[in-house]
Amino acid sequence: MAIIRIEGLSFKYNGAQEFALSNVDLEIERGGFVVVCGESGCGKSTLLKLLKKQLAPKGERPGKILYDGVEIQSLDERTAACDIGFVMQNPENQIVTDKVWHELAFGLESLGEGSGAIRRKVAEISGYFGINDWYRKRTDELSGGQKQLLNLASVMVMQPKVLILDEPTSQLDPIAASEFIATLKKLNSELGLTIILAEHRLEEVFPIADKVVVMNKAGVLLYDEPKKIGGLLREADPEHKMQFGLPTAVRVFKDLGGVDGGGKGECPLTVRDGREYLERNFTNGIKSLDGLNAAGKPPNNSRDAAGDSKTIPKNDAGREYAVEIGEAFFRYERSLPDVLDGLSLDIYDNEFLCILGANGAGKTTLLNVIGGVNRLYRGRLRIYGKKIKEYLGVSLYRHNVAYLPQNPQILFIKSDVEDDLKEVAKLLKLSKEETESKINAVCAELNIAHLLKKHPYDLSGGEQQKAALAKLLLLEPRLILLDEPTKGIDAYSKRVLAGILAGLKKNGKTVVTVTHDVEFAAEYADRCAMFFDGKIVSLDTPERFFSENNYYTTSASRMSRGFYDRAVTAAQIVELCRANRGA
Amino acid sequence: MRKTKESKGNKGDLDFAEKRTANALYKKRAGVTESFHPVILLVYFVGMAAVTMVTLHPVLLGVSFIGAVFCTGMLTGMRKLLKSLAYSIPMLAVIAVINPMFVHKGETILFFYNNNPVTLEAILYGAAAALMIVAVFYWFKCYSIVMTSDKVIYLFGRILPRLSLVLSMTLGFVPKLKKQYKKISAAQKSMGMYASNSVTDRVLSRFRVLSALVGWALESSVETADSMSAKGYGLRGRSSYATYSWTRRDLFILVFVLLALGVLTAGMSLGAGVGFYPAFKGISAGLWDIVAYAGIAVLGLFAGLMELWENIKWRLFVSKV
Repeated sequence: MAIIRIEGLSFKYNGAQEFALSNVDLEIERGGFVVVCGESGCGKSTLLKLLKKQLAPKGERPGKILYDGVEIQSLDERTAACDIGFVMQNPENQIVTDKVWHELAFGLESLGEGSGAIRRKVAEISGYFGINDWYRKRTDELSGGQKQLLNLASVMVMQPKVLILDEPTSQLDPIAASEFIATLKKLNSELGLTIILAEHRLEEVFPIADKVVVMNKAGVLLYDEPKKIGGLLREADPEHKMQFGLPTAVRVFKDLGGVDGGGKGECPLTVRDGREYLERNFTNGIKSLDGLNAAGKPPNNSRDAAGDSKTIPKNDAGREYAVEIGEAFFRYERSLPDVLDGLSLDIYDNEFLCILGANGAGKTTLLNVIGGVNRLYRGRLRIYGKKIKEYLGVSLYRHNVAYLPQNPQILFIKSDVEDDLKEVAKLLKLSKEETESKINAVCAELNIAHLLKKHPYDLSGGEQQKAALAKLLLLEPRLILLDEPTKGIDAYSKRVLAGILAGLKKNGKTVVTVTHDVEFAAEYADRCAMFFDGKIVSLDTPERFFSENNYYTTSASRMSRGFYDRAVTAAQIVELCRANRGA
Repeated sequence: MRKTKESKGNKGDLDFAEKRTANALYKKRAGVTESFHPVILLVYFVGMAAVTMVTLHPVLLGVSFIGAVFCTGMLTGMRKLLKSLAYSIPMLAVIAVINPMFVHKGETILFFYNNNPVTLEAILYGAAAALMIVAVFYWFKCYSIVMTSDKVIYLFGRILPRLSLVLSMTLGFVPKLKKQYKKISAAQKSMGMYASNSVTDRVLSRFRVLSALVGWALESSVETADSMSAKGYGLRGRSSYATYSWTRRDLFILVFVLLALGVLTAGMSLGAGVGFYPAFKGISAGLWDIVAYAGIAVLGLFAGLMELWENIKWRLFVSKV
């Protein structure tokens, strides 16, 4: 029986011209695990919020939303608070109190339960979620993953029947994200909890979902089992922005047209199934793309599609360096261990380098060292051939280095984007005309002219990033440092970002990013570096880098390992399969 | 440039140092006093501070001072105690010396300074006042060690449940705000903005960072409010949960502390009088005087002795194991 039934639902925000949702019909089974996906701004969040009475936005809302046969808006407050749990995106802002135990008790306090009952329920939930070890800690001491787990636990303690999550892992690192998803799976399979989850990262949630909702602009495009989504999406809208976000196995299956090229067959969802699919349906006479390209066919991977003419000379000897770091040591305090421990890294001028590594390893510290915020206590650091100490005053930040922090929001200090950009122009002491023309040029380059009058905080994650980047580009840097630029943005925005970075490279700039996102690095970087234990432990082109890694690598690489050589992106697998099919 | 860079480096250091102290506090061995019910802690420490504040009797103050220092030592460890004494003993001496420089009452003139008499009584008065201030300081030091924010919130929560939630939210929010401030200003600096050394520039930069901070705070609190209402905040009949509960031991201790306080108050109101001018008179041994001395000795040394006894007990326990 359906626990939630949505019939002919439309929604228009107060004062808005267009409907944010139109004519949505959905039926969600009791105990189901439903994943909602769609590009940013497609109405996912609006739909989810409408399911929770306390969070439902104000506006015109024809149609019905029934929970257990009762219209959501006429549920009594207590049931609406308890039965439908809601977890939001930002782990920090959802935490209400200062202590973990108090946070867990918060919901039960609202319900007015007695101390005995609260004690029992909190104890139970702490055990289930493994919170015992940090039960008495302050909430601001927790890691991002722990914070989000606490948010989940503090909702689950109220024993909801339906759990709604709006992009809960977008601010987490990959390891914390998969732990969080695993917890959701456990809740679903052990307690029969109904889960409705909006997500960008589908690689891990696709295999555990019962149904997937693909949203189009304001409406539901598809609602079906995950196995069928790839094929259906291809039929319904081959250009849909969501297709870039599908799991690798699904993408490969979809692009190759299934088993027979006509879309038939069972779609693989996991790496294991994807591998089986490849082995069963394709030969590997042509093992790697190198052979293919040597045979005279033009290379056709996404890096080129992104507008970049990547040519790494076999011999790098003649290239100039943007950054040279030699045996660098850095620590925050004398009594603390080294964060950079004899690190050496040379970054070529005009390349796109991705630095990968675990959380808290010191990647951000490395960027801060290059950006002149942190100083080495031993070692060499030259930027464009000049020692960093020789950059006097703010000269390092004028036409040399720019740094985009992990949360681009913190770069904004004005109430609209245009003012923020003008602020930078003022610093550079530009004339009015120059300011105007420069801002226009940057806006055209990043395609953000329509955002100028908006408040920076009203922009989506991807838009904020572009606006922040615009601010930095006004300083005309040669070297751009980006900290986790793909965090919290959807697959399509990632492509847009990659296009922008490729464009910057084309204009002669050097781009260095620190990231967890192996798929992004594999697809777009010129070189990838692995940061571990205060050093760079490996540095190579993405193809060699990821095909030599066994664990820390892309799903595509894991899927094709041993079958094809050096295929590290879905596009490369597809190309190889096609070549083999043709052969 | 070098100067600004260094100050940035220090910011990073500070962040780390803060984290370390927070961890150290968290890991610190819990004393037995800390395990008392918050109501007892409130009555005991505020009671001791109050008793100390209302008297200038040298014996009472001396005992109170010893008790406070003893308790602080047991709670913080010898090393930290010596460090703080290194500050407070000179402070005590300074206060004691200041009084006779300005007050010339008293019949026992010791010598003349700048043609003004320096009297024994004025020195004694200064010393007593100084002892009182330092003793109260140490009582409050103990209080702040054992009264963690949880306990304060719990105590207020009994009287005003809403206030306790507000306190808890504030205590959770302040560190977030601090972190965000550091991030915003570091980001501004890493763009080379407002990095000049002129005062107006720096003031303006602070102002801009603050205004951005306010925007951020409002934005994030909207989400917090959503999260609260999603968890049923605003429903009728909110309760207040605490991890503290009354034990039999707590009851005994509370009765004991109240009794001792009663005896001490009685002794102090009926005896233990003190006068400094024109001649010092105070240290007498009437019945009520002795009651007061006994009261303060029992009460003042109680917390420190409890800690000491607990330590000995553990030593014995460990040696048995």
